[in-house]
Amino acid sequence: MKIEVFAILKEYFDKEFEIKDPLKTVEELRAHLALLNPASSNVLKICRFAVHDEFVADHYQLTGNDSVVVIPPSSGG
Amino acid sequence: MTAWLLSHQAAEVNMEYITSKDLDLVALLQQSHHPSAGAVVLFSGDVRNNNVGKMVDYLEYEAHTSMASKMIESILSDARKRWSLNIAIAQHRTGKVRITESAVVVITASAHRAEAYAANRYIIDRIKHEAPIWKCEFFTDGTKEWGGNCNCHKDTGNINKHIYEFEEIL
Repeated sequence: MKIEVFAILKEYFDKEFEIKDPLKTVEELRAHLALLNPASSNVLKICRFAVHDEFVADHYQLTGNDSVVVIPPSSGG
Repeated sequence: MTAWLLSHQAAEVNMEYITSKDLDLVALLQQSHHPSAGAVVLFSGDVRNNNVGKMVDYLEYEAHTSMASKMIESILSDARKRWSLNIAIAQHRTGKVRITESAVVVITASAHRAEAYAANRYIIDRIKHEAPIWKCEFFTDGTKEWGGNCNCHKDTGNINKHIYEFEEIL
């Protein structure tokens, strides 16, 4: 699946990258990303995930074709 | 009158919620006068030269444009349901925004000022807490920091639950 990250997460990951591991849920993806770069785990804990421009919950079922966006807490304004 | 109404509807519908261009506050305000509105409130979130005791050189904003646009549209729509508004518009900058420039603008217009003020505060609060938009602060000492994150989860225990300023005054 394709992963895209924003803002502070770009200090831990490439802006866009691919994950081949068969991850079933957003919860598994969050844990997997934290393993890839342990320094990012505190930020990942408070990130929201989105698929097709919609936020998805931790139990959301991922497929290999999904493009997943990782959204850190907002800091606009 | 008809032409005026049509142009106004078009201005709201075609609003670009996220833009890399300078926010034209004067032009936006000019579009926000309405014959039924006795109150127009314009909030501009300006970039200031200091934060947490450090001198700020400039800010850079990043957004997930499609999601942030949909979210701002939905926030404006919620505000229109909650208050009787003649005008409700918002625009947020991306890219480099310099000191004294506007990073975000919200304009509300209604018959009386109470509604325009309340709706304006509601809209900016929700944009700041919920929209996928981030600022990176570039300080004059050469350091930078992704900053000002919404920290509500520390109090609410839920990354989707926020504490809004507008709730304190309603």
